[in-house]
Amino acid sequence: MALRWSRVSPQLALTPALAITLVAFIGAIAWTIFMSFTRSRRFPEYFFDPAEWSRQYERLFKDDGWAIALKNLLVLGVGSFLAIVFGFILAAMIDREKRGEGFFRTIFLYPLAVSLIVTGVAWRWMFNPSFGLQNALHSIGLTWVNFDWLSRADTAMYGIILATVWQGAGFYMALMLSGLKSINSEIWNAARLDGVSFWRLYIEIIIPMMKFTFLTCAILMSLGVVKAYDIVVAMTNGGPGQATWVPAYFTINAYWVKSNLGYASAAAVIMLAITGLIFLPLVLLTAWRERAREARAT
Amino acid sequence: MSVADVSLRRAGEVPVERAPRFPRKPKGISGRSIAIIVFLTICAAFFCVPLYIIITTSFKTMEQVREGAIFSLPAPFTLDAWWSAWDTACSGIRCDGLKVGFWNSMAILFPSLILSIALSSVTGYALALWNVRWANTFLFVLFICAFVPFQIIMIPLIILSSGLKVYGTIWGIAIVHAVLAMPFLTLVFRNYYKGIPQEIMSAAMMDSGSFWRVFVEIILPMSGNILIVVLILQITSIWNDFLLGLTFGGLGTQPMSVVLANVVITTTGEAAYNENMAAALLTAIPPLFIYFVLGKFFVQGITAGAIKG
Repeated sequence: MALRWSRVSPQLALTPALAITLVAFIGAIAWTIFMSFTRSRRFPEYFFDPAEWSRQYERLFKDDGWAIALKNLLVLGVGSFLAIVFGFILAAMIDREKRGEGFFRTIFLYPLAVSLIVTGVAWRWMFNPSFGLQNALHSIGLTWVNFDWLSRADTAMYGIILATVWQGAGFYMALMLSGLKSINSEIWNAARLDGVSFWRLYIEIIIPMMKFTFLTCAILMSLGVVKAYDIVVAMTNGGPGQATWVPAYFTINAYWVKSNLGYASAAAVIMLAITGLIFLPLVLLTAWRERAREARAT
Repeated sequence: MSVADVSLRRAGEVPVERAPRFPRKPKGISGRSIAIIVFLTICAAFFCVPLYIIITTSFKTMEQVREGAIFSLPAPFTLDAWWSAWDTACSGIRCDGLKVGFWNSMAILFPSLILSIALSSVTGYALALWNVRWANTFLFVLFICAFVPFQIIMIPLIILSSGLKVYGTIWGIAIVHAVLAMPFLTLVFRNYYKGIPQEIMSAAMMDSGSFWRVFVEIILPMSGNILIVVLILQITSIWNDFLLGLTFGGLGTQPMSVVLANVVITTTGEAAYNENMAAALLTAIPPLFIYFVLGKFFVQGITAGAIKG
């Protein structure tokens, strides 16, 4: 009796999770992919015409808004990389100089506890051309500084990047710090005895040792960039014009504003594909680390 | 597994005591240390400036805001902006302030916390400690699901929840939160429970052997730490969520972040910046409070979540 229970109960306990995975994830993804091949507009149409399966995608890639969104995705990705670099520098400094570690860590991380909407609203206010930082800088004589980035199409993305870096640098700092802490303390002593210079120590020894951490950060950052939506809404709401559209914004907009279900699905499928492309290295990375660990254990 | 685990293992392999540490210079502070502390302080200032500006702006009058000195301290110190943000700020046509959103967020928070933690802890426990044949396949699928962008499942979930008559209700939002958090939280719980020694499980099985009794009597009392970490992670992420609240919230059931965005974005005429900043602070206070009080667990949550998996 006990044996039978031990087999049935765990499987019974897993059914809700299994059902959710099958319906809300696998089923929903399959449904959206199917919808992207149909002519669905306001409501789902289940008729699939093999002759024009790609019409939503063809439209999508002719859409200027989508082109802007993809370009901005790239810009945001490159820009957010600064957050990783900045995070590493902060972590290295904190790790080097133990004084005030807790204090600085607390300050660098607090933006992460705050909603991206709050971050966006705060930065939107600071970027305000008439009363914001620009005005404050101009009034102390720095009239050549332009800080009205959000109101100009060519600089609005940089404003979003600045806010993203402000929000995210602490997160990478925390990951890097735990990576740095796990480095064997003998290395520091050995380097000091050998008289290895500060820069060589970091570039030739520490950074290669932390390649896993860097890769993890880069992948998490990229996945986050694909999902970027809140910050755009709060800071520019896509504007000026379509200058700060990103794929996540485009997809939501296609469904809620244009109420075009098939079109939104096609955009969502491309988002999924981009996520997949980023995700593949993560799967490989996990497998690689697993193997590295096993090799070390034996 | 976390990086810290690897280091522990590495330390364990070498039974020799540590290399003798060369003591730092006992007194005085080196030039490099000063440079580092100065640099870190400047960075800290960069992180604090936005907070300083929203706090000071929220206590100013609009007359003072219009003077344009963003760094100045509030000269007539006033709480008016806070009151109007809470009580009368307009989002679209409604002028009820953020209080509606606050109570909605509270009402969403508790059911989704209970649902998501109950669901994922039991799932993680079953996958970690019981022999389920397809456990590894399922874990891999969950791992993928944890990273799927929300947009790809948004439309079917909306249709599904309208079919179940929960769309636009507090419960609808809470359930969707629990569903979306399930894959990730399950992985977190599973990794934690995997670390429980096999001997304990064997003894527990000998004693009762019942799935639920082992969970309630042995596993739950052992999972205090992970429960706090997950609880904090979930409270902050549910409270800070915008996208779910926006797409699943109906009129009058929107969470605080959505109301805040509406208040700030849909202003007509001159924006009340002091009111906007007070509204932003009101929304940020609960997670910031948790962060400053229970920061250690917060950091554990985000880093454990990021590296494990």
